Amino acid sequence: MANLTGVQYVTRRPAWHTRLLRSVEESGLFSTALLVPVLIFFIVWNVIPLLWMLGLSFYNYSLITGNPEKYVAFGNYLDIYNNTNVWNALGRTFQWVFVTVAVETVLGILLGLLFWRSSDLPGRRFALTMIFTPMILAPASTGTYFRLIYEPTFGVINSILSILFGTRIDFLGDRAWAFGAVALVDIWMWTPFMLLITLAALGAVPKAELEAAEVDRLPWYKRFWYVILPYGKFILMLGILLRTIDSFKTMDLIYLMTKGGPGNTTETIAIALWRKAFEGFTMGWSSALAVILLLTAIAFTSIYLYILNLSKQGGK
Amino acid sequence: MRKGLGRTLYHILLWFIAVIFFLPVLWIVLAAFKTKDQLLAVPTKWFFVPTLANFVDLFTRPNIVNYLVTSVVISVSAVAIAIVVSFLAAYCFSRYQPKGTNFLMFLLLSMRMVPAAATVIPVYLMYVAFGWKDTWGGMILFYAMFSIPFSVWILKGFVDGVSPRFDETGLVNGGSRLHVLFKVVLPQVKPGLVAAFIFNLVFVWNEFLFNFLIGGRRTTMVPVALSTWMYAQSGVDWTFVAALTTVFMIPPILVVFFFQKYLLTGMTFGTVRGEV
Repeated sequence: MANLTGVQYVTRRPAWHTRLLRSVEESGLFSTALLVPVLIFFIVWNVIPLLWMLGLSFYNYSLITGNPEKYVAFGNYLDIYNNTNVWNALGRTFQWVFVTVAVETVLGILLGLLFWRSSDLPGRRFALTMIFTPMILAPASTGTYFRLIYEPTFGVINSILSILFGTRIDFLGDRAWAFGAVALVDIWMWTPFMLLITLAALGAVPKAELEAAEVDRLPWYKRFWYVILPYGKFILMLGILLRTIDSFKTMDLIYLMTKGGPGNTTETIAIALWRKAFEGFTMGWSSALAVILLLTAIAFTSIYLYILNLSKQGGK
Repeated sequence: MRKGLGRTLYHILLWFIAVIFFLPVLWIVLAAFKTKDQLLAVPTKWFFVPTLANFVDLFTRPNIVNYLVTSVVISVSAVAIAIVVSFLAAYCFSRYQPKGTNFLMFLLLSMRMVPAAATVIPVYLMYVAFGWKDTWGGMILFYAMFSIPFSVWILKGFVDGVSPRFDETGLVNGGSRLHVLFKVVLPQVKPGLVAAFIFNLVFVWNEFLFNFLIGGRRTTMVPVALSTWMYAQSGVDWTFVAALTTVFMIPPILVVFFFQKYLLTGMTFGTVRGEV
């Protein structure tokens, strides 16, 4: 090409270290190098403990008796299979996940829709911060403090109840109430998360399509179904997935409020495992249960991702 | 936008909802300013003269400042490490798509789904065996691992959202890959970085279980301190719990207040460009 500007361009060979860097970058080595840190973390903190756990699950190993571990092959697994307590806890966990995630999702979506067009709300930033506060509190402190709030004699809820209805309910000590009372705290903590997800999902809907819907005077449910959902589905599904994962693992909140009681009405599988491992110190048995939970988790995640991929293809 | 009464009622409704969600928090904060007798008064006391005695008591306890500093250092450094590692991995997954990308992403997510009580057994045994229990490095790297899956997921979405043409333009114009990585792609995924940072920071900041089991005297963070201190001679020391909770929740609240827009953009997982 003719040099129109008259400036002399000097082609200079790059310095040796630049050339070395380039050659490394363009070889396959570079892409692997990017992955190395994550792989190290993955191997040291996931693969090694997992293999350890898998190995332990075939042994009878207790931290209190001090007996040397004894190889029992699938003994622990058979024991778990025959243990009705485990099955009950597992059923309760699914009940817990279903109730909390369903309520949080529905409520979160409704509130999200409500907060959607509120950019002219005075002090919107303050209002949203107030709503998001429950999910950023430490479960260790909310769990503890809700014990006082639910307390039959000193608790504020019972104080109001006794004025209005003249009764007091021991929410966390009563078999009929405990599950609902704990679930309500979880819902209070995590509905804001679904609200946040909904706001993000609504942001993914193109303005033009919304205006078209406005012009066509579509009723609100059609607008939600045909305009908002196709674009927001992916984000919503991802939000529900994350919430399901965390709900499945909920542990400190329940443990601090009820320790799985009264009876075992709030004993989810995570609590059952905790009790076995760190109150009973039966490491082999607990490892076997942990392996089963890991497989359950993997199964669930794959079903979810399958649905998620479907919704991504549908939405894009 | 419609103006007038309807709009005002709508705003009042929104504020009402915000206040409902905030009420339990407010109740805890109020408790921090009560005396023990006021807190446990049997017809609940709605009006009282606030006192700062609980905070004085809190900050005169031994090591409280230590625990706060430990909390800050461990959570910030763990999340910072996790974000760097995740960003590199997300770039690799997004651009080079090595074999097994989907499988690895999937494994990362499933690891997150295992109840903490299940992962804690082998991690606990491993930490005891390797002598990593109650070391700063052990704590920080463990929390980094905990923050990686979610960060990789968020960041991959954001890097996917940056067209590879930016990379090509950068390379053609004489930039190195590292230049492209940190000077071209990184600024464009900032909302994702901030969102991943905040979410994981809040998580690590509040984490109790692992700090309790694989931490120790030197690496105690505030939630563990809370649970060990909360029992006084006569049951739970509620005013202390309230005061510590109040102090402890200030940093995350400030973060959420100032970085709110990043939270919203971050939760789109990079599927939306620009403001949400």
